[in-house]
Amino acid sequence: MSITGNNNIPHGIPLSSGGGGFWWAVAGPNSRIALAVTALAGIAVFAALFYTTSRGHLKSPWSRRKRKHALTPRQWGRLFTPDGKLHDGGVKFLKKVRSGGVDPSIRAEVWPFLLGVYELNSSKEERDTIRTQKRKEYEKLRRQCRWLLKHSNESFKLNGSSEPSGNVDSGSLVQDMDSSSYEDVVSARESLSSEERSLDVEYSDDPSSTLLEVDDNSRQQMTNTDASALNTESSDSDSSEDPEAVIQASSSSGQENNGPDEPSKEFTSPSRTELHSSAPAAENFATWQRIIRVDAVRANSEWIPYSPSQASVSEDRARCSAEAVGLKDYEHLEPGRIFHAARLVAILEAYALYDPEIGYCQGMSDLLSPIITFITEDHEAFWCFVGFMKKARHNFRLDEVGIRRQLNIVSKIIKCKDSHLFRHLEKLQAEDCFFVYRMVVVRS
Amino acid sequence: MGAYRADEDYDYLFKVVLIGDSGVGKSNLLSRFTRNEFSLESKSTIGVEFATRSIHVDDKVVKAQIWDTAGQERYRAITSAYYRGAVGALLVYDVTRHVTFENVERWLKELRDHTDSNIVIMLVGNKADLRHLRAVTTEDAKAFAERENTFFMETSALESLNVENAFTEVLTQIYRVVSRKALEVGDDPAALPKGQTINVGDDVSAMKKVGCCSA
Repeated sequence: MSITGNNNIPHGIPLSSGGGGFWWAVAGPNSRIALAVTALAGIAVFAALFYTTSRGHLKSPWSRRKRKHALTPRQWGRLFTPDGKLHDGGVKFLKKVRSGGVDPSIRAEVWPFLLGVYELNSSKEERDTIRTQKRKEYEKLRRQCRWLLKHSNESFKLNGSSEPSGNVDSGSLVQDMDSSSYEDVVSARESLSSEERSLDVEYSDDPSSTLLEVDDNSRQQMTNTDASALNTESSDSDSSEDPEAVIQASSSSGQENNGPDEPSKEFTSPSRTELHSSAPAAENFATWQRIIRVDAVRANSEWIPYSPSQASVSEDRARCSAEAVGLKDYEHLEPGRIFHAARLVAILEAYALYDPEIGYCQGMSDLLSPIITFITEDHEAFWCFVGFMKKARHNFRLDEVGIRRQLNIVSKIIKCKDSHLFRHLEKLQAEDCFFVYRMVVVRS
Repeated sequence: MGAYRADEDYDYLFKVVLIGDSGVGKSNLLSRFTRNEFSLESKSTIGVEFATRSIHVDDKVVKAQIWDTAGQERYRAITSAYYRGAVGALLVYDVTRHVTFENVERWLKELRDHTDSNIVIMLVGNKADLRHLRAVTTEDAKAFAERENTFFMETSALESLNVENAFTEVLTQIYRVVSRKALEVGDDPAALPKGQTINVGDDVSAMKKVGCCSA
């Protein structure tokens, strides 16, 4: 959900630490692109409701707050010590961002800190190391995606007559995830075939070597970073719902016992496996691949004013990137939007592999769009998205537990704060508050 | 009661649901029918959305309250709650993507599991304008519709082809069912099939109530 720029609304939403609530939002003056994550949907929804009503001259509860200036590039530069650490562990930085937001020109630099890609007390050197590690990890995920796409293409045609329901020879190349959480995606592991060595990769590394490498350290670091930078814990979330616990579990149960010198352990499943799970109704990676492309191609163009470089990308480059991710049906789009769509596909697909418990859910493309608008490197945008999703992912759970809980909170707040409205909703049998579903899940 | 007033008069209010796989064009069918709009960049539907439009059938005003549901599997649990009280459904597939036609059977089952047996269902093959990309033949779809005892039509929300016809046909058929029932059972509203009619002047909650009792 978003709080769009409006005179009645401050451009930075507080990044608060207590009370089980978590907020993060960045928006510059006059910005219409903002991100906000909340663990306490009620407040968020109310902000949105008040925002809507503020058009009807009803004052927003935020309007009484004094609006501060956004963090400027100059101030940002001055926040660092000579070895590239943020002064006082980033306290001043967070305070500034909370109260005033971030100038659009430095969002690409600032967001990775806010989203936990980098620790607030990290040095420049440490960040460079992490950046390299994470880039490699992302590239590995991308190779896996391409491999899966290529191999599923062999048994079906993406735009053709059927879902990739056939058996796919050899399985997933994903190693650093818990295979038990991987049910619906390909879980078979098989030694790398000669085919993969010849697969046309975007990157020069030999896939056979890097595919087996372990990036657990970076994952672990990521987790730690988050805890400190994002203030993620909400008091009422139990461990099964805690995204961090899930991610931690997957990183620890995956590779830690399974060093790179013992790759055979990973190949535990039969070599032939089905992309489809046994339940015909369940979602699987092939479903996600398809829906991601459907959503990417129809992504709207509201980001264009914020990313002139992306909007003015050459036609060749746009088509090239579209081809690299197997995008189809984009002929009606302008180069900038083709490029944007291709980046959405690349990152969302990688995310579906990275977090197979969530995979891809419609609405996630809307959340990723602002991130890739400002962050031009895919790998960086990916890790920012991962950080963002740590808080948002429970809204997208297959069992809808997260969203139901949120809607329930909204319902309770309305009941408690505006009983008249609540009675009206009851009369319409709408007290379940399903009507704010989209507002809670995405930003509009 | 009485706090809510309908903004227009109508003789019947029918709840109709739009279902089918992601990206088959449900939202565009809805916007074409209710606002005569079409957009290639419509966002994916999250949860449910709805719109209304009134049409005339015989000398009656029939108001259609059309619920547009998210196509993705994972939104199913929450969207299926919206089948409650539906008296009509447009089950949409994309004529250029066979898989969306294959999934029709599953949608149909789910629909029948959650709704009254009198529900009027129309199978809709959308994107008929993309002739060169067609992957589902009209004959196959027609045969399926006959087998499953549903209505069938091919549409193009983009070209505004058959969209009006599809909705009108469904609403007219619902009207026939309802007026026939009304004839059969006389004027006792309690005997009506659940969730099907609403009289002039009643508010939405009245219809909801009927729907509720049925659930």
